[in-house]
Amino acid sequence: MLHATDRRESATDRRRTAAPSLTARLRGRIEGFLDSFPLLARVVIGSAGLSVLVAAAFAVLLLAMSDLRRSTSAQARSKDVSTATLELERVVNQLELNLEGYLASGSGRFLASWRQAQRSLPPAIVQVEKLVATQPLPQRQARSLANLTNAYVHEYAIQLIAIYKVSPQAARLPAATQEGLRRISSIRRELSALLTSEDRLAATSEASARHDATRAVSVGVVALVLAAMLLLAFGFFLARGVVRPVRLVAAGASRVAAGDLSTRLPEQGAAELHELTEAFNAMARSLEHGKRELEAQNEQLRQSERLKSELVSIVSHELRTPLSGILGYSSLLLKRNFDKDAARRYIEVINEQGRRLASLIEEFLDVERVESGRIELKQELFDLGALLQDEARVLGAEAPKHRFVVGIRESPLEVVGDRDRLAQVYANLLTNAVKYSPDGGRIEVDGAVVDGVVRVQVSDEGVGIPREHQARIFTKFFRAEARESGFAGTGLGLAVSREIVEAHGGRIGFTSTPGAGSQFWFELPVAT
Amino acid sequence: MGEAVASPTILICDDEPTLRELMRVSLGDGYTFAEAADVAEAIELAHEVRPDLVLLDVMMPGGTGLSVLEHLRSEPALQETPVVVISAFTADRDHLAAYDAGANGFLKKPFDPDELESLVSDLLASRN
Repeated sequence: MLHATDRRESATDRRRTAAPSLTARLRGRIEGFLDSFPLLARVVIGSAGLSVLVAAAFAVLLLAMSDLRRSTSAQARSKDVSTATLELERVVNQLELNLEGYLASGSGRFLASWRQAQRSLPPAIVQVEKLVATQPLPQRQARSLANLTNAYVHEYAIQLIAIYKVSPQAARLPAATQEGLRRISSIRRELSALLTSEDRLAATSEASARHDATRAVSVGVVALVLAAMLLLAFGFFLARGVVRPVRLVAAGASRVAAGDLSTRLPEQGAAELHELTEAFNAMARSLEHGKRELEAQNEQLRQSERLKSELVSIVSHELRTPLSGILGYSSLLLKRNFDKDAARRYIEVINEQGRRLASLIEEFLDVERVESGRIELKQELFDLGALLQDEARVLGAEAPKHRFVVGIRESPLEVVGDRDRLAQVYANLLTNAVKYSPDGGRIEVDGAVVDGVVRVQVSDEGVGIPREHQARIFTKFFRAEARESGFAGTGLGLAVSREIVEAHGGRIGFTSTPGAGSQFWFELPVAT
Repeated sequence: MGEAVASPTILICDDEPTLRELMRVSLGDGYTFAEAADVAEAIELAHEVRPDLVLLDVMMPGGTGLSVLEHLRSEPALQETPVVVISAFTADRDHLAAYDAGANGFLKKPFDPDELESLVSDLLASRN
């Protein structure tokens, strides 16, 4: 529809609307591109796109959550490292205290406790080393711690215990005690450094975990909002692509149901909808066509009904006129007394009207005979010119108000055919000319050979034929407004004339100017 | 009152000469007749002879008998003249159309001469 309007726009209009229509054109192109996809494909593509987008949003959310989990596990590990370090510190303290107790008292209980602490040392070191295996700095610190504690045990404590067993005094020398303190303080420094590192790591992990948690929540919210918006967009897309066109079709169907068969839908949209609207329009067209055909048939029926009633009326009228004479005069003769001459004259009228009745019946039968092709035409060679003259003379005598002018331009005007039937055609044209020029006037007959055919034309100066009836005057029983205008007749003359002329291989026709007269003509092949 | 014996004038309008004659013969010698064969002649004669009664065919050259009737009814001098429509169109609607146009009587063709005679004398008597 829009395109049709566009085409009708003038060039100026097009120029004026060209600039702002760029976006419109772009949109039109996109819509056109979209329309080239079937609805099914659109829904599948749309759903798939939506699924991918939602999946992507959730993937981002999962990533954020795994970050959070990683941060949380790092934090937990830091706590474990701290615990393990404190355990190591406790073991080191045990070693130191029990060594001191043993050196001071020589009690075997201290030595036993020391040995127990010595046994606890390697697992405590291994535990710390294992926990810090992934962190470079704590790993280095743990290694150093392991070296320092091992050195303390093997290079100092065990040596000192051995010395104590030989000479307790020697083992208690300040130099020995100083060495122990130095080594223990190194170990304590290293322990403290490891704890600080781990505290720092734990703090970083906690901050990172908090940040990751915030991010995960944000991403989650954004993903959810995005998914909701996409769902809305998809719903809108479905509504636009499916629901709206379907509603349009439904509205169209309602209009058709209400009787407006001229309803048409724009044939656009996805392939299925295009097919639907196309089918809808085809249905509406076919309905409209059918309705028009029915109306035409109805009109034809009404017309034929009118024609039938006209026929009954005409036949009745035409038969009643001679019957009036026959019954009227015979009834008079039966009831009243007339002198012989009068009686004879009335009997003559009865006879004449009886003949007229018979010829009328003959005329009615003629139509049937001519139409069914049962008419038998004689094939005789005769001078049509002479016939034109004779008939005009006979009829002219009965029409005093009319002046007959017969012009035969070729003599003899020879044709082959049925003389009586052709005389009937000509007489029909002449009587029509007289009948339809009630005020009299000139009736001109022209007979000639024109372009290899014999052409006879009868022209009058009568009432002519109204234009709206001209197409139907050769239809049998059709009388236009003749009855209303007081022109008697059966409406059969021209119908029969046409059949006769055509049976001779000729043509019949007319030209007429309402109010100025008619020219009827017929053409026959020249005799060879 | 020698005028009273003057025979009533009947205007017969029909394009068929034999039917005009039949009407004349049916009515007999007690009337004076004027005859018209078409619409124009009928109107002209009506004005000219001022008939006491008109017998009017419906189908005539130059128009219908009903147009003559309508003309008579529109003329003050002729609107009271009794008119008998005699028609070969005999359907009810033709009947009604004739009375609507102002006919005083309606006869179907073929008509009975005696019926015509009694209708005419009745109409003339009721007028006097």
